[in-house]
Amino acid sequence: MSATLPSLQRARPASGRGQADWDALARAGSRRRAIGQGLLMAFLVTVSVPILLPYFWMFTISVSARTGGVESAVLWRSIGILVPAVLALGFLNLLTEPGIRRLYAAAGIVVVAGTTLAWAIGPDLHLQNWAFLRDPNFVENLSGRGAGTVEAQFPSVWTAFGNSLMLAGVQTFLVLSVATLAGYYLSRFDFQGRASFLQALLVLHAFPAMTLIIPIFLLMHWTGLLDTITGVILVIATLELPFAVFIMKGFFDAVPWDIEMQALVDGASRRRAFLEVVFPQVKVGLLAVGVFSFIRGWEEYVFVRTLLFDKQNWTMSLYIFWVSDDIMGVDYGVVAAVGVFYVAPSILLYVFCQKYLVQMSLGGIKG
Amino acid sequence: MARIELQQVAKSWREVVAVEPTDLVIEDGEFVAILGPSGCGKSTMLFMLAGIYAPTAGEIRFDGHVVNAVEARDRNVGIVFQSYALYPHMTVARNIGFPLKFKGVKADEAARRVIEVAQLVHVEELLDRLPAEMSGGQQQRVALARALVKEPQLLLLDEPLSNLDATLRLTMRAEIRRLQRRLGVTTILVTHDQIEATTMADRVVCMSKGRIEQIGTADALYRRPDKLFVASFIGAPPINLLDGRAADGRLRVGELTLGASGISGEVVLGIRPEHLGLTAPGRGLAGRILTVEPLGRETLYEVATPLGSLRVLEAGSERRWQEGDAAGGTVADEALLIFDKSSERRLESASLALAEAA
Repeated sequence: MSATLPSLQRARPASGRGQADWDALARAGSRRRAIGQGLLMAFLVTVSVPILLPYFWMFTISVSARTGGVESAVLWRSIGILVPAVLALGFLNLLTEPGIRRLYAAAGIVVVAGTTLAWAIGPDLHLQNWAFLRDPNFVENLSGRGAGTVEAQFPSVWTAFGNSLMLAGVQTFLVLSVATLAGYYLSRFDFQGRASFLQALLVLHAFPAMTLIIPIFLLMHWTGLLDTITGVILVIATLELPFAVFIMKGFFDAVPWDIEMQALVDGASRRRAFLEVVFPQVKVGLLAVGVFSFIRGWEEYVFVRTLLFDKQNWTMSLYIFWVSDDIMGVDYGVVAAVGVFYVAPSILLYVFCQKYLVQMSLGGIKG
Repeated sequence: MARIELQQVAKSWREVVAVEPTDLVIEDGEFVAILGPSGCGKSTMLFMLAGIYAPTAGEIRFDGHVVNAVEARDRNVGIVFQSYALYPHMTVARNIGFPLKFKGVKADEAARRVIEVAQLVHVEELLDRLPAEMSGGQQQRVALARALVKEPQLLLLDEPLSNLDATLRLTMRAEIRRLQRRLGVTTILVTHDQIEATTMADRVVCMSKGRIEQIGTADALYRRPDKLFVASFIGAPPINLLDGRAADGRLRVGELTLGASGISGEVVLGIRPEHLGLTAPGRGLAGRILTVEPLGRETLYEVATPLGSLRVLEAGSERRWQEGDAAGGTVADEALLIFDKSSERRLESASLALAEAA
């Protein structure tokens, strides 16, 4: 006891002083937190610049470039205005309390940035580069350009858009139907050669499809599917399937056996147990695989370039290739405009499905 | 309601035997618990009754009709899983109503029955919730309601209480028992928890390694276990088991000698902790207290003796002994259990006397 008493007495004034220090500690804490957040934001802004800049540049070129020339003045001017504005909004959010005043301040920043932007680059904006949306013969009609191409060199961009949509959509539908059924079967049923089948799926996924391009070309030729969208759909769906089956199996693996057995005991047939109880649990996986398949079909270039010739069969990737190739001297304004038009659906899809796509990797790991 | 018969029912997965040929009769309206450690084949048995697994051999009869080939959905069986297995994307009302969809029950009739059974298990307030928005106890009740809504002829409970906390388990135990009595539905409970089995069921079926070791009331299994396994599995704290050798009317267990008749050879002596007692040092077995565990109504001592360490259960909550104390061990002789060491069966003919206790 005698040993512990002095130390208790010593401890008392220390704890008294500690109480007085709480405010200072709190200030230090919030200061540290603010600095940390600020640094984090600065870092994120810095690393996102090289990711966002090309898209932004493409967009500014598409709405500002004049025929024949490329200029980056509009890009730099708008960046010079937008980056400080975004940073200002970020710090506003970080340093002030939520409320009506913050809202006013944010609105002020937006208005100032908008006005400056309109003044700085407004006169340079135009929509000439977007003429391809209406006019298939836009190349011939571009002012100041010699007609380096003959009439009706290009199909309507909407034909290409429709082809791409069909390619990506039907391909996705095929992949989803087969992958769902195959994934379920692989997850739930035991059969001869199941393990080797799973291994084969992984090997197929790792196999470089490019090496198959000549055999596939010959196959398409012999089956009469050369130069048809159907042929390309079948090829791409086939190449996509191994991975999709594997991912879907992972999602089915994560559905507990119990609820399926429960459904059987509750009176459901195997098919209805699948449709009404198991299937709703893997909707997220279905969406994720669907989005990836769609984008894979949407961006496909190598196989459409190899297997499609007729310009009525062009997809968007072929369209943008010929736009950049066939105009005497590349017209960057038009290429950028077509690029924006081409990439917009993918970006929209990603933005809306982002939270589901993140879960795909989780489901995949479980498998 | 149904009388369930199993006749030489067995299940194996390729070479692995899950359930050896088994006979069992469960009377109409009876509540039977299948008790055993994990991996003893009790869940396999349940799934065979539900129709999820087909038995490899033997016949399952419901009211005398062989149902081996009858599919799960046509057996009119209700089941509650340990995980509750609620359908995560359906509300409570749709979960409970799910079995009725397949029985051709009309929508208004189904809605009425859902509410009825929800009231029975006190979840009528929760009908619009999703499973993820409920506590474990509530999910359990919903699962029970779903199993009962189609008025099953057989109710199967697969470890239904093991995911609940201790107090809730006590409540649910009584509640399931009360419901079963009221509805008179033949019920089979599968559990590894002996308290659950002995408190809820009319009869307990003790299983180990795919075999039924003993069937009987809770009391019979505790007092007159047929097998060494049953004696060691049932009873908490567990029984003390001591190796001994019987010859010439004597049973030697270490330095302890008992008068014994009707036995010879290698045996195992089983003494329940409550049949041992502690007295002042110098009398009985020389012992030293290793640990003291106050259990409330009783106190459990672990005592080091020349025979090995023994568990002794004394009535009363006061600590009569401290860790490290010397004490004497005493035995009440009428409650000793003797098992043959090789066959692990209880030797009923044996009679013992403690006359020569050291």
